[in-house]
Parts: sequence; C-alpha cells; structure tokens
Amino acid sequence: MSLQPFFQWMQTQPFAAFFLESIWPTPIVQCIHLISVAVFAGALLIVDLRLLGRGLTSSSIPKLASAAQPWLVWSFVALIVSGIPQMMSTALKEYYSPFFWWKMEMVFLGAIVTFVVRKRIASKEEGHFGPVWPKVVGMTSIALWTSVTIGARLIGLLS
Amino acid sequence: MLRSLFEFVDALPSSVAWRESLNAYVYLLTAHVVSMGVVAGIISYWDMRLAGMALKWIPVSKVQSGLFPWLYGGTAVNAGTGLLMVYSQPMRYYPNFWFWLKMGMLLVLVANAAYFHLSIEKTVEKWDNDPVAPLKARVAGYVSLAFWAGVIATGRMTAYSGLVPQWWIDLGLG
Repeated sequence: MSLQPFFQWMQTQPFAAFFLESIWPTPIVQCIHLISVAVFAGALLIVDLRLLGRGLTSSSIPKLASAAQPWLVWSFVALIVSGIPQMMSTALKEYYSPFFWWKMEMVFLGAIVTFVVRKRIASKEEGHFGPVWPKVVGMTSIALWTSVTIGARLIGLLS
Repeated sequence: MLRSLFEFVDALPSSVAWRESLNAYVYLLTAHVVSMGVVAGIISYWDMRLAGMALKWIPVSKVQSGLFPWLYGGTAVNAGTGLLMVYSQPMRYYPNFWFWLKMGMLLVLVANAAYFHLSIEKTVEKWDNDPVAPLKARVAGYVSLAFWAGVIATGRMTAYSGLVPQWWIDLGLG
C-alpha cells in the first residue's frame, strides 16, 4: 500500500496551507525544533557518555539517567510537535526524499534503543550488565541519533 | 573596513574553491548542526548546574571536569565548520541581519564565560558541593542558557535573509 495519497492529503489540509502561506510560523517552528534538538542531545549525551565510562563519572548511572529522563522525554515531545507542521506543509517533498525515510527509520530505531533498551540498561548500577553491553548501547544510541540529525539536514539540502 | 575584509576574503582563490565545490557546503552545514547539538546540549547541563536546575548532587568542579573535554571537542568542530562556511561565502553572510545578531550573541556568551572564569569561578571551592550556586553563578548560568537558545535561533534564521527589520534593509549592505 502506498503512503503517497496520505502525504498528498496532508499537504492539502488548511493547517499545511497556513504554514506555507504565512511568513513567520515556519521559521519560528524551525527555531523551536532546533532548540529542542539541543536539549534532547544534552539529555542523551550525558547518559550515553556515562555508559561509555566517560563524562560525569562521579555520579551513578541510574541517578544520572533518571535526572535526564524528563528533559529527554519532553524535548522528544517538543521535537515531534514542532516537526509535524514542517512535515505537513512540505509532505510531498518529504515523501519523495530518501533522506526523510532514512530519518524516520533512524528515529524509530533510536526511540526503541533509547526509551526501551537503554532505559533498562541505565536503570541498574554499573557492572550489573557487565562491562560491554552498556558501552554497546551508548555507542548505538549516539550513532542512531547522529544519523537522525544528518538525515534531517540532508532533507533540506539535497531533496 | 569590515566590508573590505569580507570582499578580500571573497576574492581569495581558496574561498572561491570552497564556494564552487559541489559538496563542501552540504558537509560543512551538516557537521555544523551535529556539532551544535553536542556543544549546546553539553553546555546546557553545565549552565543548568550553575543555575541550580539540574545535576545538583554532583560537585560543580566534577561537572566541569567531566563535561568540558567534550565541550572543547564539539566547539572545535562547530567553530571550525562555522568559520569555513563564512570563509566560503563571505558576501552571503556580510549583509545578513541574523548572522550579525548571532555574532553579537556569541560575543555576549564569550564575555559571560570570561567573567565567570576570571571572577566567580575563583571562589568555587566554597560552593562546589552546594546544590544551589551563589547568585552570580546562577545569573551566569541563566544568561548562558538564554543566549545559547538565541544563537541557535538566529543561526537557523540566517537562511531567512529577507525576514529582517526595515531599518536593516535601509542600511543597504547587500
């Protein structure tokens, strides 16, 4: 089943037209999206680095992860909310962009790794899962979300 | 004088080479955005520790020693790619309102960091373990958070060189 009719439908919605035809909403939403990227990246990195045995090593992993979790969740929500109008207003461009689908696949994998696998790994004290798994998960998390950022930037530059 | 400098760089063969490269801008901007996430993300936790918003159980000096090596690495990539973008297209950035606003905000951030380093940080042993830092340190943290958000926003707005105040257009820099 092709998703093309759904993307076409999104782009014809009055909400999408409002964003396309108005001057300020798109840049404002893009700025909010980018600031959310920074908040998300910070909350992600301090825990990923800690899993790699770097960064804030004077704190336990569970304490650090639980402190970063609200920032991670709410910035992820802000990213989705600010991403939707941008996607809707240029839906067909996104549909035909390989980088958009790359980004969405990486977001899907990244969300599973971060909010399911890493959450479990980071909930236990250092050593519980051995020396290797936390590092593998930390590296995977950094690689996936870096791929998301690269894909996102390339939608605008090469699509 | 500033315009002459930008025009001089614009005419340099290496600037022209970067400008005419098919992929250089794509690589530079992508690396700039990824490293922005590292720099702004990490510095936000340092600022939030100073402001008393996060990591309150970790001594300030430990937050600094744990995060700053990554901050320096990210800043090297971020500043390097940013400089190369301006170097490759100086006359695109020279008349850009948002570019200069971003540079102004970066100057405030440098001054804020220098003031913290030369003044507030000198007494850090006295409040290293305090969950909430002294007022001056908290203010430095809040100022940095606000201006970093401004740098990110004005950086994004650089693409909207036409969305600027009329008085800026009247300057006739373009």
